[in-house]
Amino acid sequence: MLLVPGAVGLWLVTGGRALAPATARVAALVAACVGGAVAVWASVTRPDVDRAWIPSLGVRWHLDIDGISAPLVVLTAVIGVLVVVHAWVEQPWLDEAKSTPDGTGRISERGSAATYLGCLLLVVTGALAVFAARDALLFFIAFEVVLVPMWVLIGRYGDPHSAAKRADASARFILYTAVGSTLMLVGILVLVTRTGTAALDELPSAAAGLDIGTQTLAAVLLTLGLAVKVPVFPLHTWLPAAHTTAPTAGSVLLAAVLLKLGTYGLVRLPIASVPDGFARIAPVLAVAGVVGIIWGGLICLVERDLKRLIAFSSVAHMGFVVLGLASGTELGLQAALIGNIAHGIVSALLFVVVGGLKHRWGSVDLDVIRPALREVAPRLGFALVLGLAAALGLPGLAVFWGEFLALVGAWSAAEHTGLLRACVVVAAVGAALAAAYALRVARIVWVGDAVPEAELASARAATPDTRGAELAVLSVLGVATVALGLVPMIVLSVTADAAAALLGGSR
Amino acid sequence: MTLAIDWVLLLPALLPAAAMLLVLLVDAAVPGARRVMAVVAALGLAAGAATAVPGILAADERLTLCTAAPDGRCLWDGGPLPSTLQAGILLATLAVLALVSVRRVGVVDLTLLLASAAGGTAVVASRDLGTWLVTLELATLPVIALVAWRDRRAATHGALTLLTTSLVSFGLLVLGAALWVLGTGDPTLTGESLAAAWAAPERRPVLTLAAVVLVAGLAFKLSAVPFHAWTPPTLTAGPLPVAALLASASKLAAVGALVVVLAPWESVVGANPGPHALVSVLVGLTVASMLVGTVMALRQTEVVRLLAWSTVAQAGWVVLPLTALSAAGRGAAVAYTIVYAVAALVAFAAVRATHGPRVEDHRDLTAYRGILRRDPVAGGTLALALLVLAGLPPGVIGLVAKVVALGPPVAAGLWPVAVVAVIAAVLGIAVYVRWFAVLFGRPDDASAPVRPRRRRASVAVAVVGTAVIVVLSVLPQLLLGPLA
Repeated sequence: MLLVPGAVGLWLVTGGRALAPATARVAALVAACVGGAVAVWASVTRPDVDRAWIPSLGVRWHLDIDGISAPLVVLTAVIGVLVVVHAWVEQPWLDEAKSTPDGTGRISERGSAATYLGCLLLVVTGALAVFAARDALLFFIAFEVVLVPMWVLIGRYGDPHSAAKRADASARFILYTAVGSTLMLVGILVLVTRTGTAALDELPSAAAGLDIGTQTLAAVLLTLGLAVKVPVFPLHTWLPAAHTTAPTAGSVLLAAVLLKLGTYGLVRLPIASVPDGFARIAPVLAVAGVVGIIWGGLICLVERDLKRLIAFSSVAHMGFVVLGLASGTELGLQAALIGNIAHGIVSALLFVVVGGLKHRWGSVDLDVIRPALREVAPRLGFALVLGLAAALGLPGLAVFWGEFLALVGAWSAAEHTGLLRACVVVAAVGAALAAAYALRVARIVWVGDAVPEAELASARAATPDTRGAELAVLSVLGVATVALGLVPMIVLSVTADAAAALLGGSR
Repeated sequence: MTLAIDWVLLLPALLPAAAMLLVLLVDAAVPGARRVMAVVAALGLAAGAATAVPGILAADERLTLCTAAPDGRCLWDGGPLPSTLQAGILLATLAVLALVSVRRVGVVDLTLLLASAAGGTAVVASRDLGTWLVTLELATLPVIALVAWRDRRAATHGALTLLTTSLVSFGLLVLGAALWVLGTGDPTLTGESLAAAWAAPERRPVLTLAAVVLVAGLAFKLSAVPFHAWTPPTLTAGPLPVAALLASASKLAAVGALVVVLAPWESVVGANPGPHALVSVLVGLTVASMLVGTVMALRQTEVVRLLAWSTVAQAGWVVLPLTALSAAGRGAAVAYTIVYAVAALVAFAAVRATHGPRVEDHRDLTAYRGILRRDPVAGGTLALALLVLAGLPPGVIGLVAKVVALGPPVAAGLWPVAVVAVIAAVLGIAVYVRWFAVLFGRPDDASAPVRPRRRRASVAVAVVGTAVIVVLSVLPQLLLGPLA
């Protein structure tokens, strides 16, 4: 499951740099499909790999998939295939100067296709390894694996218009996440040195014997570190820049996979290992999450760049997930898990649409008057509306369950009831904000402005509707959005036992 | 006084010394046979490294140069820790020998290199102050001569800086040694004598002072802040291979010497009162080195100067695990230094393969734009070395080394130093990624330096070093196992 995409990714980055784009694409697609298929198979059969790696550090190659990680593994596998397929639509390794002011239309290669695809595969591999790791230090190392490939994706294949912006966004991304992961490392080391084990299965029972001060310390370090990745409110400033600049596939990976590493880590490390310590800081986390919901929503109301807008809506959605986690209830945890998956699918859908629009229009500034998308490109328009409807939490679509259950879970929390209920009220207002900004975008982009008939025709020519690979990617994501909204039990039933075991076993 | 001597254990230090004598003999017999002399030197270093291997793998104690019972003291330790350092020093010197072009290498260069290697291998294994002091200077002084040997004004200036520093450092070391003997009444560096002396309250200040002065003297050799001032000028002014030697073999020898001095303190770390002053001094060194080195490295555009400041920062990382004063800390420090030395050697070799060996070649960051496409071998090895130094996968061993180094202080509860390490790690990533980012991108033929003609040896060193990094990244246990 890890070997195939990892090895092919490495090979593409190192040896296969000179490969023709077409060959590289096929190789990457095969690798992603094989890796994805094995990942899906593994999350059904649940094999358990356990080998010693660095005995003197107590690090083991311990890979195992349980109810909490299985949906995320499947999500990552599917997204992995989709981003590679998307390479047929958008080719960031080509330098597209046609939208620059000089309008020369010069197309030259600015990086090798193989490196780009290899980096995509490496990010997916790293994420799969994180979700499957059952050893705290292995978890950390896998966590770090995704950094450099993602940095290359943003810095090298990002927004072709501004090199300075790319450098800024990629540097921000790597430095912020490095702060987070190093803090997390210190937290992990506190746990490992005090308990003497790095195995995630044994940590909860071993850490139960620690005094409350150490537990709190470990929980603070771990939560702070992972909160950067999620990202939780005051630590989110790297995300919009990274999202805006990254190529579409990079944005999709960031939103659908990388952010999940943060929330998954929160479930695995502080909540499972040091529940008492986590309970102490949970109110702070809940408040930060709610502030994130409101903050993200307010910015979305005024943000002009559509890609940044979606990025801020990600911050808001992750606020709900964090609120669910902070509630400390089984329901809240379940909500966080399904919210994770839903956000992964929906934000991927939106980023594909918006990335496609940016690709066609050259920019996605909402202040530029454009003809209605529903007339120009109805299929793309429908995908956008579907994504926005899901994002505002419409019942029957994926995100609804995550938000609804998170609110219910936080309302029925046993500890800090008053504070959490206040948070729920504020978060509900945030959900209304989501409706407001989603409708704003729909009005501007989908309904559009009245333009003369002649301009409409040229707009049609400039904005070809989606088809082929892009359509396939969009339909998979769209179907998943609806399916998860109608039958949330496909995820909930898988996570239920594990979530109960996680909280039950630690209490 | 008779000494029981196990010659086999002394071989790692004796073979380079023997090779040095042989080189001198060959020079006397057949002057000008440079190739033969270089081969003899290389064989001496390689054989020395080979004889250190049994020590690395040994499970039981390997002590020699023991005085007769009843109070038998052993002056030489051939255990895993010193043996690993010995092998590292010898192989690093071998790599430096390869970087010095064989055509230009003379008998003086060879003799000095071998002398320095012999001194380094001896100091890490020594257990008494006499051997320790003499061999430490044997490891240092030839390097000063090497810096100055090529007759250039800038190099002489660099050598003078290094010489002045070394004299101050030597003075401190002698003072520290004298204080140690005064405090313990024992010229050997053992935990028992320290623990016995520590029991008497009036001796504690003298002992602490001895350790602090010794650490200060060694900090010069480690180029830890605030004793680092010589490092950037010397590394940039001297020949590139000597800079590589200073960053690899010399650093390993200095760390080995520090480990020897600090090892006895493990016996009193749990005592009441513990050696708090010593720990604070070590913490101060670590924090200052990591922060100053990284921040200064962030501003450099000349690559050797950047590497020089990064060596200052890495000195902080090397001392970091030692602040815990534990056996695990010693192992971690040695492991970290080995990883650093390999990565630094690869980086220097790649720089040597990109530019010529001289200072006048414009060794600027801009020269590396797009090097990954222009020169995949030098660029690729350099990229991996930078990632290892930054501690980012795919340079997994760099990350593992950071984890290992951070473990002992966290276990000992030294929070301030752990927090600073987090900051330094992130700043360090900024330093190396800044260079790493230049490697990508469009090749710019205007700023590209002319590829030096003779660079096979440098490329070979870079490739072998990269192979070591890759193997260690897949199987970190190979390095960490013997040191645990």
